[in-house]
Amino acid sequence: MAQTVPGRTAPPQTTTPQTVTSAVPRPWEDPAATPFVRVEGVTKRFGSFTAVQDVSLDIYRGELFCLLGGSGCGKSTLLRMLAGFEDVSAGRVIIDGRDQTGVPPYLRDTNMMFQSYALFPHLSVEKNIAYGLRREGLPRAEIATRVTDMLSLVQMQGFAARRPHQLSGGQRQRVALARALVKRPKLLLLDEPLGALDRKLREETQLELIKIQQSLGITFIVVTHDQEEAMTLSTRLGVMTEGRIVQTGTPHEIYEFPRSRFVADFIGSVNLFDGRIAVDGTDSATIACPGAGMDIHISHSVAGTVGQAVTVAIRPEKIEMLASPSGTRPNAVEGRVEEVAYMGNLSVYHVRLDSGMIVRVNMSNRSRYDDDVPRPGASVVLEWDGSAGVVLEG
Amino acid sequence: MSGGGPLGRGALGRALARNRRRLVIAVPLLWLGLFFLVPFLYVAKISLSVPAIARPPYLPLWEWKDGTLDLSLNFGNFLFLIQDRLYLAAYLESLRIAAISTLITLLIGYPMAYAIARSPAGRRNLLLMLVILPFWTSFLLRVYAWIGFLKSNGVINNTLMALGLIDTPLVLMQTDFAVYLGIVYTYLPFMILPLYANLARLDGALLEASADLGARPLTTFATVTLPLSARGIVAGCMLVFIPAVGEFVIPALLGGPDTLMIGAVLWNEFFSNRDWPVASAVAVVMLLVLILPIMLLRRVQAAPEADASKAEDAA
Ligand SMILES: Nc1ncnc2c1ncn2[C@@H]1O[C@H](COP(=O)(O)OP(=O)(O)O)[C@@H](O)[C@H]1O
Ligand SMILES: [Mg+2]
Repeated sequence: MAQTVPGRTAPPQTTTPQTVTSAVPRPWEDPAATPFVRVEGVTKRFGSFTAVQDVSLDIYRGELFCLLGGSGCGKSTLLRMLAGFEDVSAGRVIIDGRDQTGVPPYLRDTNMMFQSYALFPHLSVEKNIAYGLRREGLPRAEIATRVTDMLSLVQMQGFAARRPHQLSGGQRQRVALARALVKRPKLLLLDEPLGALDRKLREETQLELIKIQQSLGITFIVVTHDQEEAMTLSTRLGVMTEGRIVQTGTPHEIYEFPRSRFVADFIGSVNLFDGRIAVDGTDSATIACPGAGMDIHISHSVAGTVGQAVTVAIRPEKIEMLASPSGTRPNAVEGRVEEVAYMGNLSVYHVRLDSGMIVRVNMSNRSRYDDDVPRPGASVVLEWDGSAGVVLEG
Repeated sequence: MSGGGPLGRGALGRALARNRRRLVIAVPLLWLGLFFLVPFLYVAKISLSVPAIARPPYLPLWEWKDGTLDLSLNFGNFLFLIQDRLYLAAYLESLRIAAISTLITLLIGYPMAYAIARSPAGRRNLLLMLVILPFWTSFLLRVYAWIGFLKSNGVINNTLMALGLIDTPLVLMQTDFAVYLGIVYTYLPFMILPLYANLARLDGALLEASADLGARPLTTFATVTLPLSARGIVAGCMLVFIPAVGEFVIPALLGGPDTLMIGAVLWNEFFSNRDWPVASAVAVVMLLVLILPIMLLRRVQAAPEADASKAEDAA
């Protein structure tokens, strides 16, 4: 996997925990904090196939951690090992200081919300939610109050007597969440919790999920293949591919400081310029990019060797599109607008450089009228700052 | 389906399309009418007639003479069934033997069906084949094979004596035990197949959800697996119970002189006594007795997973 070219590697997290004034705690920056969930070198093999390979992960109390990756990358398998449905082939899982090796699911302090919801079809909503409490042998009165509280938390008060097949997808999702939450687990595992909902409902539910998570203070680990969802929900996320975690970090770190081509490309859209290090100074560098027909100037050292193959990743919104050069930015290149995709809040432009490379540029649509905007065929100049590009290995 | 498919362009095609649903139901109805209702009415007719030494051995139910229809219904055969204690005893004994056999078949068949449903997909078909395999030999042959095992100098007794576990042969043949064994052995596949079909459909995520919520495996079985397989249990039990009540070959070959099953009584009335009307009356009453559990079955299957949540209350 590609490593970061050292240099501008450290994201803006150099402040010591004592001086952090932000309201949101960032325990992962505190070297003294003990992780709540430790995944230590966990591997899972199915026969000769390795679904999860040597994953290590520290998750802290109160976090909403997202495991993000494409279909089949091993997200669910990792989650199922945390829940105890799958044994680990190697490594170990520690939750709240206790090694979970050999602990069956019914003895773990975790609860899972299943991708299919897995509601019991023969039980009413009320009994589905009460199921876990009855297994604890709690008194009936207490079960009744906790179920009622949970029903109102997920706004399903009127549906206690319904059977799952009498509910809509969104309602089932709420019941599944309530059934897992009512046990007051230390750790809630959610496998694609919003995957079956339509877009609008999904966006509403995302915010609701965050609200519930913060009000209850339970640690959430959410599996999703939807990068927007991961960005919206998570305190931190781990990007997975082919059974490995390739990068963990806050949504901001993952988006702005990807450490590999894969992460840069997987999260959001990005322009990738392949090239070689031409000059590497103390606080600037030049990358020769023959594919783009230009040298890209970077306003920091990349601490690599001259001639080393690198990729410069530039987000479409970091590029300015102008009719004529401003002369104020270190990077400028001419091109011709090929396509315009109007998205409402912004427009995505495909600009063909003279070298033939296509560059994506986002421009927000500040004006309601489209008289001034470049149309297909227009000659434009693309410019960006020395800090816009992320230099990645090869 | 509401629009109907493009069956044909002509008027006939349109009429067919319009009545397709009715046609679809008509075929099985016709089948049932032809091969079930008509023979049953025929038997019912005989049960209301007067026995006679003739060919066939009963008098006609009606006569057309000089413009009058003489209809004589003889309920004597049914009264006879009530008066002679033998018949009531045979009915009760049949129900008892069938019920106990069904229970034993369920207790053996459920774990087998469960194991097949939970085995790797590749092995399931092989195991199902093994369950069905006995059907490839004649049922009669297989019952005779059991005689070879059970008789006093049969395989079981010879083995036990050779091992020195017993001195005198056990009496296994012509006992109720042999009858139960025969019925359970014969009808086990009828229990396993519907149960398997049901259990194979059981969503594994439900069992995981149950474990996740704190249920140990036995609790999960009692609160999730069992209630969700209720329909399979009912179907399997009916498939075993109903034919077992009327079973005649097994008690005749494996049972003793005091094994009194209604199927054997029926056989006797028909072939030994040649009293077709009484035999028919026995058959009609047997059918009425069996309609009850069939209606129960229909009820359970009409209401999907009805009242299975009561199991959760009990647990
Ligand atoms: N029980 C299993 N037996 C064999 N292969 C499995 C099993 N469970 C998952 N896999 C394989 O492991 C890989 C990862 O699966 P999964 O964790 O479900 O992916 P996802 O990231 O989509 O949730 C897939 O290729 C899948 O086919
Ligand atoms: Mg998955």
